Amino acid sequence: MEPMPEEQLELYTLMVRSRAFEERAGALVAAGEVPGSWLSGIGQEGTMGTICQLRPDDYLTYTHRGAYSFIGRGSDPGRLLAELLGKRTGYCRGKGGRHIADLEHGILGKSGTIGGHAPLAIGVATAIQIRDGDQVVVSLFGEGTSNRGTTHAAMNAAAVWRLPVVWVCENNGYMGNVPAPMYTAVADIAAMAPGYGMPGEVMDGNDVLAVHRAAAVAIARARAGNGPSLLELKTYRMRPFGETSTDLRDPREAAAWLGQDPIERFRRRLLEAGVLTDAAAQAVDEAARAEMDAAATYALESPLPAAADAFEDLYA
Amino acid sequence: MRSLTVTEAMNEALREEMRRDPTVYVLGLGLYPSAGDSATGGLVEEFGEKRVRSAPMSETVIAGSAVGAALAGMRPVAELHLADFAFNALDEILSKAGKWRYVHGANHGMTLPIVFLQGIGGYVSAGAEHSQSPVALYWHFPGLKIVVPTTPHDAKGLLKTAVRDDNPVLFFTHKLLDDAGPVPDEDYLVPFGVAEIRRPGADVTVVATSYMVTLALQAAANLERRGVAVEVIDPRTLEPLDIDTIVDSVHKTGRLVVVDEDTQRCGVGAEIGAQVMERAFAALRAPVGRVANPNLPVPYSPPLEEAVLPSVARIEAAVLATLDSMR
Repeated sequence: MEPMPEEQLELYTLMVRSRAFEERAGALVAAGEVPGSWLSGIGQEGTMGTICQLRPDDYLTYTHRGAYSFIGRGSDPGRLLAELLGKRTGYCRGKGGRHIADLEHGILGKSGTIGGHAPLAIGVATAIQIRDGDQVVVSLFGEGTSNRGTTHAAMNAAAVWRLPVVWVCENNGYMGNVPAPMYTAVADIAAMAPGYGMPGEVMDGNDVLAVHRAAAVAIARARAGNGPSLLELKTYRMRPFGETSTDLRDPREAAAWLGQDPIERFRRRLLEAGVLTDAAAQAVDEAARAEMDAAATYALESPLPAAADAFEDLYA
Repeated sequence: MRSLTVTEAMNEALREEMRRDPTVYVLGLGLYPSAGDSATGGLVEEFGEKRVRSAPMSETVIAGSAVGAALAGMRPVAELHLADFAFNALDEILSKAGKWRYVHGANHGMTLPIVFLQGIGGYVSAGAEHSQSPVALYWHFPGLKIVVPTTPHDAKGLLKTAVRDDNPVLFFTHKLLDDAGPVPDEDYLVPFGVAEIRRPGADVTVVATSYMVTLALQAAANLERRGVAVEVIDPRTLEPLDIDTIVDSVHKTGRLVVVDEDTQRCGVGAEIGAQVMERAFAALRAPVGRVANPNLPVPYSPPLEEAVLPSVARIEAAVLATLDSMR
């Protein structure tokens, strides 16, 4: 079922705000304001079609890439950018960098190992099951992460225990600069789903309404206690691996994917359907840019942590 | 007072904590149907399969899901069976449980109340991958509390404290600590960071944990007949470590031997020896002695295993060596 027009507008606005955040974060990296780096999710905002459907009390684990997890859950862009800048006002008081937790919005934190979040996701789902809750856990991962044993062990356990998990593979076709056929034996990660006794579905990850439709089914299934599902979103990363990395992929490929930009496609569709006007679209863009400019100002003006702060937070 | 084994005492601790707090749950391999002679015996029958979860054959799942559940407000007890097997979950234990709160700046008051149960120890011809005691490995890393109980009394009281602690706790129990000992009927806790002087003595301080305490006490009894009074200190927890009790003892004896079943290099003896030298160098009248595994895998055949693992005779020799020192 298609979301109502006003829901589509909300979804569109979230995607635009996420993109605006990514662009602002990239600009801060380019300006030398970020001690580490940022892994841009520009081009992969179709994933917002899953995140936007979560309830405030649901949970999310995210990959190392993209702002849509945070923007989609309602995190504060100012505190996100402050964290990226290593500031005391950041979500992790400057200790995490781009490894960010926002527990208030059900974002549990970032595993430094690829695939490290999968066992954590089933633990959260275990907690839900023990409490007889009806929350769900959406667990994002990349196609490269499907190589890890943690992913497979967690998928098996989630199915055995019928846990409320929705596995969402963002398949952008590359591990760094290495194309997927060089490290993954099957073309579709969703083909692994039957091996763990769960439904799997491949979709155009840049068609946010297709993502929304499939995610609605998987989330409902998990919420009803019927166990996990695996969604595979075929997409493309429009930026290098990291904002400070060199992109060694074929530039002709990137040019071809420009026409598949999930935000542009959704915008055209909303304009054709009369849900959005050019003027309204421009207003959404401008508001998003202004919001992220204000967030950057907050981050830039925030204080750095003191050396003594390094000795806090280890034990509760 | 009644008598229980370490296993029975731990079983009682888990049962009491699960009755007291509905967020406590246990997971591990083969918990259903439960084995009567294990620390988890009878739990699934009382608390059901949701709170006593038989896991797939994956330490990653057991340890990693415990971290996730803790982040969502539960208090998991992850039974990893042997420390040797827990190596499969080192990322989950060291980098997730140990660092998650710190790395995320204690975001939103984040806590990680997890107990990781691990069996340790050799002397049972179990071979290199079923006989390790890698306690010092975990001690090397930040963010993990480390409990190494010796008596049934301490096993129960420390396990209850571990379950109630808001931080990840590694709880190591030795295969050979199965003698029954007195356990009070009433509810009690044993605090972390408080060492127990198992035997007082004025000549040489011996620090030992777990089954090494048993060997150290035998060595102390033998040495008493030769006129040497050994003080045996059982730290009970390594993180936090009650270094004050050890330093106070060294001020009295001037001599220290640390006994550790694990490989010697970068081990418990190295750390305690260095801390004592930093804090009480002037009091030392002999070099700090170490009795440990001489950096070898634990072999299978009894005479080989005996040659590698600490023994009463080696502890006695190390104690006497500190007395030979001319300082």
